[in-house]
Amino acid sequence: MAVAFSTDSSEVINRSLGISPPSRTSHESVEALYEIPRCVQWVKKHGFHKVALQFPDSLLVDSTEVALKMEKETGAKVYILGDTSYGSCCVDEVAAQHVNADCIVHYGQSCLSPTSHLPVLYVFCCQPVDVEHCVQSFRKLIPDQNARVIIMSDVTYSASINDISSRLSQEYACLVTSSLNIPDSNLDTESSTQKSEQDTDSTSTTQDSLDQDNQVICRFGRTFCLQADTELDSYSIFYIGKESLTLTNLMMGYNRCMFYSYNPDGRNCRKETLNVNKALMKRYYMVEKAKEANVVGIVAGTLGVSDYLTVINNLKEIVKKAGKKSYTFVMGKLNVPKLANFMEIDVFVLVACSENTLIDSSEFYRPVVTPFEMELACNSCREWTGEYITDFRELLPGAPSHVPMSEGTGEDETDVSLISGGMRRVGLREEQTTGSTAVVKRDDVLTVAEVNSGASFLQSLSWQGLEQKLGETDVTTAVEGRTGIAAGYTHEPGAGGDKEGPQA
Amino acid sequence: MVNFTVDEIRNVMDKKKNIRNMSVIAHVDHGKSTLTDSLVSKAGIIASQKAGETRFTDTRKDEQERCITIKSTAISLFYELDQKDMAFVPKEGKESDTERGFLINLIDSPGHVDFSSEVTAALRVTDGALVVVDCVSGVCVQTETVLRQAISERIKPVLFMNKMDRALLELQLDMEDLYQNFSRTVENVNVIVATYADEDGPMGNIMVSPERGTVGFGSGLHGWAFTLKQFGELYSNKFKIELPKMMKRLWGDQFFNGKKWSKTQGEDYVRGFNKFILDPIYKVFDAIMNFKNDETTKLLEKLEVKLTSDEKGLEGKPLLKVAMRKWLPAGEALLQMICTHLPSPVTAQRYRMELLYEGPHDDEAALGIKNCNADGPLMMYVSKMVPTTDKGRFYAFGRVFSGTVGTGQKVRIMGPNFIPGKKEDLYVKPIQRTILMMGRYIEPIEDVPCGNIVGLVGVDQFLVKTGTLTTFEGAHNLRVMKFSVSPVVRVAVEAKNPSDLPKLVEGLKRLSKSDPMVQCIIEESGEHIVAGAGELHLEICLKDLEEDHAGIPIKKSDPVVSYRETVEEMSEITCLSKSPNKHNRLFMKCQPTTEGIAEDIDRGDITPRDDVKTRARKLADEYGWDVTEARKIWCFGPDTNGPNMLVDCTKGVQYLNEIKDSVIAGFQWASKEGVLCEENMRAVRFDIHDVTLHADAIHRGGGQIIPTARRCLYACQLTAKPRILEPIYQVEIQCPQDSTGGIYGCLNQRRGHVYEENQIIGTPTVVVKAYLPVNESFGFTADLRSKTGGKAFPQCVFDHWKVLSGDPTDEETKPGIVVRDIRKRKGLKEGIPPLDKYLDKL
Repeated sequence: MAVAFSTDSSEVINRSLGISPPSRTSHESVEALYEIPRCVQWVKKHGFHKVALQFPDSLLVDSTEVALKMEKETGAKVYILGDTSYGSCCVDEVAAQHVNADCIVHYGQSCLSPTSHLPVLYVFCCQPVDVEHCVQSFRKLIPDQNARVIIMSDVTYSASINDISSRLSQEYACLVTSSLNIPDSNLDTESSTQKSEQDTDSTSTTQDSLDQDNQVICRFGRTFCLQADTELDSYSIFYIGKESLTLTNLMMGYNRCMFYSYNPDGRNCRKETLNVNKALMKRYYMVEKAKEANVVGIVAGTLGVSDYLTVINNLKEIVKKAGKKSYTFVMGKLNVPKLANFMEIDVFVLVACSENTLIDSSEFYRPVVTPFEMELACNSCREWTGEYITDFRELLPGAPSHVPMSEGTGEDETDVSLISGGMRRVGLREEQTTGSTAVVKRDDVLTVAEVNSGASFLQSLSWQGLEQKLGETDVTTAVEGRTGIAAGYTHEPGAGGDKEGPQA
Repeated sequence: MVNFTVDEIRNVMDKKKNIRNMSVIAHVDHGKSTLTDSLVSKAGIIASQKAGETRFTDTRKDEQERCITIKSTAISLFYELDQKDMAFVPKEGKESDTERGFLINLIDSPGHVDFSSEVTAALRVTDGALVVVDCVSGVCVQTETVLRQAISERIKPVLFMNKMDRALLELQLDMEDLYQNFSRTVENVNVIVATYADEDGPMGNIMVSPERGTVGFGSGLHGWAFTLKQFGELYSNKFKIELPKMMKRLWGDQFFNGKKWSKTQGEDYVRGFNKFILDPIYKVFDAIMNFKNDETTKLLEKLEVKLTSDEKGLEGKPLLKVAMRKWLPAGEALLQMICTHLPSPVTAQRYRMELLYEGPHDDEAALGIKNCNADGPLMMYVSKMVPTTDKGRFYAFGRVFSGTVGTGQKVRIMGPNFIPGKKEDLYVKPIQRTILMMGRYIEPIEDVPCGNIVGLVGVDQFLVKTGTLTTFEGAHNLRVMKFSVSPVVRVAVEAKNPSDLPKLVEGLKRLSKSDPMVQCIIEESGEHIVAGAGELHLEICLKDLEEDHAGIPIKKSDPVVSYRETVEEMSEITCLSKSPNKHNRLFMKCQPTTEGIAEDIDRGDITPRDDVKTRARKLADEYGWDVTEARKIWCFGPDTNGPNMLVDCTKGVQYLNEIKDSVIAGFQWASKEGVLCEENMRAVRFDIHDVTLHADAIHRGGGQIIPTARRCLYACQLTAKPRILEPIYQVEIQCPQDSTGGIYGCLNQRRGHVYEENQIIGTPTVVVKAYLPVNESFGFTADLRSKTGGKAFPQCVFDHWKVLSGDPTDEETKPGIVVRDIRKRKGLKEGIPPLDKYLDKL
C-alpha cells in the first residue's frame, strides 16, 4: 500500500538493474585489465589536469579503484562518469563537460563513433579468447578452405583477432581480417590496440601498394580490405564476440552476408539464425509508416557522436521538403511514456550511434525509425535496395551513401498507401509554397485558414482545456485542499507515515 | 452490328431519355456472357467480332481460357425500336418522344461469388439489371445475392430464363413441367424482390411478370429468345384481342379448349402458355432433332423462316440453331424488353439520388443528379479502374450523374476519405482525356453528358479504387459502394529476388487499384499481404501481380485466414493497471457485446456518427442495455468504427474528460492488436469502472495514460475467457442426387456442416447448403470435384464469424495452435503474455 501513489524512495535504492551482478576484478588484474600504465602515460604526455573516466554499468564496481590509482599516478583530478544519458558505448562528452574535463578515458564496449570535442582514450578492457578453441571451431564450422571469410570481432576481443587470423590464414586462402578503426578526430585519440593496428595498417598499405584494385571497406568502425574483383556479397563473416547490438548492427549492415559467430565466454560457435531478411522487412514497414506520417519528431539520442547536429538539421530539411512538419526533442534515454506524451507526433526519428539506433518500437505508441529510414520515406531518389545504413554519417553530403534530395516537380504527387489502402500525397503541398501570409477571408474567420498538422490535431481532441461552465456548476463552500507534493500528498496512505509529517 | 462514328454516338448521348444503362447479373455459369454476345452481335456499336461462341466481353486471355468472366466489361449498343413499340415505352415528361434510337450501355458482370465486387461496381453505374437464370437450376445463391444488391441500389430488374435448349434437349421436360419450372423461378425471384423492396417504394412495383413482358425466355447459346409480347402480337391479330389482354392469357392459370378461355383446367383445356408458346417450339425441336425433314420444311414455311441455300443443307442441331435464331432472334426480343421496361437515367436518377448522394438533398449537386441535368455541376462516380495498355496506368471508369465531363476540364477529385471543407483526399486536376469504353476497344470523345458511362484518362493517380469527381465546390461525396463479400483469405507475397522489392511494392499498388475488392497491405511484420474474397479471386490477383503489375517472380505463402479476438464472459475481476509513474489507476472490465451488435456495426446500422440518444434508445430497446451506459459510449474501435466499444461506467470522476483522448488512443491501439496474437478484436465491450488520477495535469498526460489504458484493456481481455473467432463460409453446392455422399464426406473432413438440402423439383439436382470454416476451404473445390466425379461445384461466400471452441491459452487446443502459429508468423514472442504483465496489484 505504501507505494500506491508515490514511489517509495527505498525502492529506488533497492531496485535491481538489468545487468548480472558484477564481480569485482581482483587487485592484481585491475592494472592490466584497465591498462592503467598506458592511461597514465597518455595523460602525462598530454599534460591533462582534469580527467573523466567513463565506465559502463557493468564495470562501475571497479571504478573507484581505477580512479584512485589514476589519481595517484598522474596527479591529475579524476572524475568518474557513470549512468550515461544515452548508450554506454558512446563517449559522454556532455557529462565530461559538466566537470570541465580535459579528456575522457572510455572503458569497455564501444561503438567507435567519432567524437567532436574532447580527446578520448579508448580502453576496451580486453577479455582473453581461447585462440586454439576458436580456431578449431572455425575449422569445424567452415570446412571449405577456399571459402571467403571476413573475420571481425567485438572490441573487447580485438586483441586476439590477429592471433586467430594468422593461425587460420595458413589454411584458408581467402581470409580477410578486419581491423578496428579508432575514431581519429582532429584531436589526439589513442587506443589500446594502436600498436597492433599500426601493424595491420602497415600490412594493408603494403597490400594496397601491391594491388591498387583492392577495395578497402570501412564501416562501423571496422576496416577491411577485399581482394580485387570479389564482391562483398560472396563473403561470409566470422564474428568473435557475444550476441550484442554490435552483431545485430553488423548483420543489418552486411545483410547479404552469411554470419557465423564465436562466443568466447560460452566457448560455442554457431551459424547466426537471426532472420535478417525478416528483420529488414520489419524495418521496411517502418519506412512505410514514416511515409504516412504528417508530423515527425526528431529525437536526439546522442550528444557525443560527431555530426549529430548536422544530421538533425539535415533531417529537418528533408522532412520539410517532403511536406511534413517536424519537432525536435531532447529527452535522454527513450522510454514509452516519454514518447507517448506527444500524441500528435506520427513517427519519431532517433538520431543515435549506429548500435543504439535500431530499437524495437513495438511497445511504443508511435514507431521509432532511424535517420536512414526517414530519408527513404522522404527522398524519392533514394530507393530501397536491401542495403541498410545504420550509421547516420553515411547519409550526409559527401559521404558515400549520400543521395541528394529529390526536387519536387511542384505538382501534387501521389502514392497508394499500403498501410491504410488510401491515397497519400508525396512532396511539398501547394498551400505551403504560397507562404504563410494568411489573409483570412471574412466568412472563414472562424476557421483556421492555414492547414497546420499540430493545430488540427489539437482541434480533434475532445478535451480542449478547462471550461467555465458558467451557471452550470453549483456553488459550494470552499474546502481545504491537499497539501504536500505531487508524488505523495499528505492525506494519502503511506505518504505521511515514515516520512516527515506535514507542517500543519 | 451498327457502324457509328464517334460524333453519331455523341449525338445519341444527349438524348438522355433514350439511354438505358444496364448490367447483366446472374449466378455463375447461367450464361451471361454468351447471352451478352447475342446482343452485341445484334446491336454492338463499332464491333467487328464474330458473335456466337466468342464471348465478346471476356477480354482477358485467362477469361477466355477458363470460360469464366473475371472483370466486368462495358459495351454500348444501339437499337432502334419499331414505331408501334414506342407506345410501350413509359412516357417521361409531357412532350411526346419521337426518337426511336436507343443507346444501351451494357455491363457484363462475373457470376462467380469471388468476383461479386465487380458486380457491385457494375450496378452502381447502371439503372437496370437483366437477371439471367438458368431455367433448369433456377434461382441460386448468387442470383439472390446480386439481385438483393441490385434492389438495395435501386436498380430495376428484368428476368431472362436462359438455357431452354437444355431443358428441351437434355432433360426432355414436358411442357407442363417446363412451365412449372418457369413459374417457380419467377415466383422465387419475386419473393426476393418483395423481401428487399416495397411495392409502394420509390421504384414502384418492380416485381417481374411474364404477362407484362418483363420476363424473357430462350437460349443464349442458340441465340433465340422471346417474351410473351412476341407471341402476344402474333395471336392478338388472330384472336382479335388487344395485346395486353392477350399477354395475360398466355401466362398463369389461363386455359383454352380451342374456343373458350377458362381460369380452371377442365377437360380439353390446355394452358395458354403451353398451347400457344411451348407447343410451336416443341414442334420445331421435335421435327428438326428427329430429322423429320418434310415436317421441318412445312413448319419453317409457316413460321416465315427463310433459310439461305447454305443453311438448307444443315440438319440436326446446327439447323435447329439457325431456324430458331431466325424465328425468334434473341437480340430483338431482349433489346425490346430492355428499352421498354428498364428506366432511363432521367427516371432512375430521380429516385436514386437520395441513396447516391451523401450531402444535403437540396444542394446544387443533389438537384443536378435528381434532374439529370447536363448543364448542372459535374457529379461523376468512378466505380472502378480499368488497366490500359500503358503499364501502371488506368482508365477511371464511371458514370456521369450530373453535368458534363470533358477533356481538359478542371475537376475536384475526391477520394472516399474526403470530408467537405477539408483538404484530405482532395485533388483539383484537369482531365487529360475522355474516352468511350467498348469491350476491348476505346474511342476518344470530346465530352460526355450526364446519364452516360465514360472512361477518363489522368485521374487514376489520384484515386485508389473509387471516388467522386465534381466541379461544385460544396459537393459532398457520392456514397461509397457496399460490397457483399469481404476479403477474408490472405497470402503473404515476397519477391523471389529481394532486390525486386520496390517492383513488388509498385505492383501491389497497381493491383490494389485494378480490383475493387482486393486489399494489399503491409503488416507490422513487414509481410506484404494480398487479401481477396476467395481462393479463385486471390489466384487471379496473384497471377495479375506476377505477370502484369509487378512483372517479377513472386513467392507466395500458403493462404492464411485472418482471425479475430474476442471474449466469452465478463471479466472475472475488475482489472487494475497503474501508470508508469504509479500515480494513476484505471479500473476496467470487459464483456462480450450482446449478440447481433457487432453485425449491426458491420452493416452500419449502429455507427459512431449516430445521434447519441437514438443510438442509446436502440441499444436499450433491442439489446437490453442500460440507457445511461448506452449514452456514454466513448468510442468504437479499431479505426474508430470497428465492432468493439469503450463505455464509461464511472460516476463522478474528476478530470476524467482530460484523459478521455488518451484512453481512447489506448483503446484504438489495443482493439487493433489484441493480446492473444495481435489480431483485431471483435464484439468486445470494455467498461471503465473507476479511475484515480493525479491531481496535477503533468502527471496524467498521454504518456502515462495511453500505455496504461492498453495494459488495462489487455488485462480485461485475459480475464474474460479470451477466444479466437474464425471466419465461416456459407457454401452452396449443386450436384446430382447420387453424389451427395461425397459432399457430406468432404464437408465432414473439413469441419463443415450441412444445414439445408433441397432437391430442385423436376430435376435430379440437389442443392446442399453448408457452413465451412474458411481455414478449411483451401483446396475444397478440387477435393469436392474429385470426390464427386466433377459433378459438384461449390460457391463459397463469407457469412459470419464463429468462436473456435477451446481455450487459446492452452497450446494443445485448436485455438491455441492457431494463436501460436500467428505469433510465430508475425515474429512475436512465443506464448501469450502472462496476465501479471498487465494487471497491477492495489
